Amino acid sequence: MARRGLRTPVPDVAALSSFLVSAVGLAVPLALAALGETVSQRAGVINIGLEGSVIWGALGGALGSLAGGGYAGLLAGALAGGAAALVFAVFAVRLNTDQIITGTAVTIGSLGFTGALYQSRFGVTGVALELETLPAWELPLLSRIPVVGPALFDQALTAYLVYVMVPLLAWLLFRTRWGLALRAVGESPEAAHAAGVPVVRTRMLAAVFAGLMAGLAGAHLSLVHTGTFAENMSAGKGFIAIAVVVLGRWRPAGVLAAALFFGGAEALQFALQAFDADLPYPLFLALPYVLSLAALAGWFGRSRAPEGLALPWPRRGH
Amino acid sequence: MTAAVSLRGVTKRFGALRALDAVDFELAPGEIHGLLGENGAGKTTLARVVAGLLAPDAGRVQIGGREVRLGSAAEARALGVAMVHQHFSLVPRFTGFENVALFNAEAWTPRGGVRDDYRGRIEARAAELRLPVQLDVPVERMGVADRQRIEILKALMGETRVLLLDEPTAVLAPQEVEGLFAVLRRVAAAGTGIVLVAHKLDEVLAAAGRVTVLRRGRWVLTREAGGVTARELADAMVGVGGVAAGLPGGGSVLAGQEAPAPAIVAELKDVSAASVSGAGLRGVSLAVRRGEILGIAGVGGNGQRTLASVLAGLQAPDAGEAVLPAEAGWIPQERDGEGLVNDFTIAENVALAVHAKGAYRRGPWLDWAEVEEAAAALVGEMDVRSGAPGVAAGTLSGGNQQKMVAGREFLRSGKLLVAESPTRGLDVKATVAVRERITALAKHGDRAPGIVLISTDLDEILELSDRIAVMVRGRLIPVPPEDHNPAAIGELMLGAGSRGGVRHQADARDRPGARETAG
Repeated sequence: MARRGLRTPVPDVAALSSFLVSAVGLAVPLALAALGETVSQRAGVINIGLEGSVIWGALGGALGSLAGGGYAGLLAGALAGGAAALVFAVFAVRLNTDQIITGTAVTIGSLGFTGALYQSRFGVTGVALELETLPAWELPLLSRIPVVGPALFDQALTAYLVYVMVPLLAWLLFRTRWGLALRAVGESPEAAHAAGVPVVRTRMLAAVFAGLMAGLAGAHLSLVHTGTFAENMSAGKGFIAIAVVVLGRWRPAGVLAAALFFGGAEALQFALQAFDADLPYPLFLALPYVLSLAALAGWFGRSRAPEGLALPWPRRGH
Repeated sequence: MTAAVSLRGVTKRFGALRALDAVDFELAPGEIHGLLGENGAGKTTLARVVAGLLAPDAGRVQIGGREVRLGSAAEARALGVAMVHQHFSLVPRFTGFENVALFNAEAWTPRGGVRDDYRGRIEARAAELRLPVQLDVPVERMGVADRQRIEILKALMGETRVLLLDEPTAVLAPQEVEGLFAVLRRVAAAGTGIVLVAHKLDEVLAAAGRVTVLRRGRWVLTREAGGVTARELADAMVGVGGVAAGLPGGGSVLAGQEAPAPAIVAELKDVSAASVSGAGLRGVSLAVRRGEILGIAGVGGNGQRTLASVLAGLQAPDAGEAVLPAEAGWIPQERDGEGLVNDFTIAENVALAVHAKGAYRRGPWLDWAEVEEAAAALVGEMDVRSGAPGVAAGTLSGGNQQKMVAGREFLRSGKLLVAESPTRGLDVKATVAVRERITALAKHGDRAPGIVLISTDLDEILELSDRIAVMVRGRLIPVPPEDHNPAAIGELMLGAGSRGGVRHQADARDRPGARETAG
């Protein structure tokens, strides 16, 4: 496959640079949602409803932007995503319903509700909504680094949030008391409970945090990526983010790398499409999932999901 | 003197069951108080109420003279109460240090980081208590005795006035039990009141100053340990006219010395197998014959679980050859999860285990009447408390679940029965019943299975086994008949048979931090 690709013209530096800009742009929403999900899964909550939080974030971002500008939209998107996750958490954590089923219900419900809400507000056949997109912030000096500079340091606020979040979450998870308590809840809720850690509260907060981050990811889609809102525009980003968490081995830096990898695969697919290369380019979209499965099967060394992931607390049947 | 703990009329209900029924209990500072009773008598429930893990339905709880309404473990912790659980409450993937720090608020700075000097404080405390611990190894890779020491150290890092231990000796070799009691005496001498929940009467009498007996949730007696015999206590535990006559005497009577039936039912040839946690198997060879009981002794975590998994056909060897019968009975150590489906009723659990053999089948259907009859017989024979065929297995107490699993596996014993600590945590009566069944099964003539008895309880191994071998770090060492006594086997269990083991132990005792770099 790669060998045949050599027959296409070798892309120049400008093309490479624009590919990287696109890859990072596509990776940002995945990274935001996956960082949140990392925290949630570390606390033992697998939130399949992430996709729902993303679509709520996209709609919240659009409505917020119309009401008060782009940054108000970003905030509204985060809150909308967090609210969807709160609904999930009330059922799956507080009322101890099955996490997978509850998350699926939240996702399906969210896709329906957001669509209906959008139609009732803007009509079925309305012209595509036009939103003001968030401006890119070009960081002085850093953005001048050849090739990678523009990709990394000429992006909207959401990208910089990712850069801040990765070290911050790594520090919180692995260097602080709160991180230790949160991971204990995800590994062994019994032991955490015995150590005086409030298991339910920790899980609720972690799940809602994942929703806030997924909401930001959704707002990025409507306010940075497209400048509009469309039904189902989350297009599986929430689910992909869960695969990103697995490939990133539940660590913030790994998750960032995995998100860049997924984003890169998607950007490559677009680029090859544009070059009209003689390649079955959709295969590039499948590659990251194949690698995620391989990661789950332990082909890249041992990494295990938190032991208490998706387990109910308090345990049922007692 | 103010009592460290005082309970007045404490009642705790689980559904219709009164786990504690108006119980009074008092713990003095600096005493070791033995708490005895059969399974389901309420010992663990009482300890959990004091530790704040369960809120009582009625009655008063005082800690250090202060009336408390405990709802949370954190609250109890703040009052100086700590508990060492039977199935330790450690996070398996965390290191020893992380587990200790998780439990202790004083390990942390206000900003959430670990205090610079906390590690030093842990090491100093461990040295003071003469408690060798591994701080940098994940708990899941430690042996059971090492885990217990982490659990104890974790509980004793703060200002602990009350220490509750739930069956701490069940997993230890005899020599290790002495070590544990020595630590407890030092802790008690410093003024901490200790509640020792246990089921081995002689151990409790050796360690405790006073003993309290519970029976079916009710207080029965509290006496000075010096003024009461094991016999009296056993009677108190089971009620008048008890089964003390059948009490395991701790003797080394070897059953069934006559020549066993010759057919080999299961054989391992130089088998090695990895384990996710604890030791795997390293070049293990053994053969089990029909009608014999092969006892595997050893300190927990030395590869016994892997051995059981391989024998039960759950895990394929990485190297070597395993010749196993198609059907094997298996009494696993983990009662729920591996042994029983919690949401199934007792009858359903029985049916699940034996349906593959064709039992209780009528054409493609199950004969439920027959299943229920068998389940009812099992409940009666094994004395499963609050059990009936229609009761969900998950609602039984741990000990009663174990009785159920054992009874069910006897029912379906094929050519091989693998029993992993079959009486761990069982009361006297049930222990006697299970041991009698195992012995009887082995004498079943042509239909007798070969039995592999894996147990950390040396008395049990000595009482039941025809042949004995010891597991040490994944290797199996045969014990010659002349060495069938607690002292000789205990030495082997602690690794005296291999030079490395002895040095290992000695190192750890001299310098608590000696093995830190190992992780």
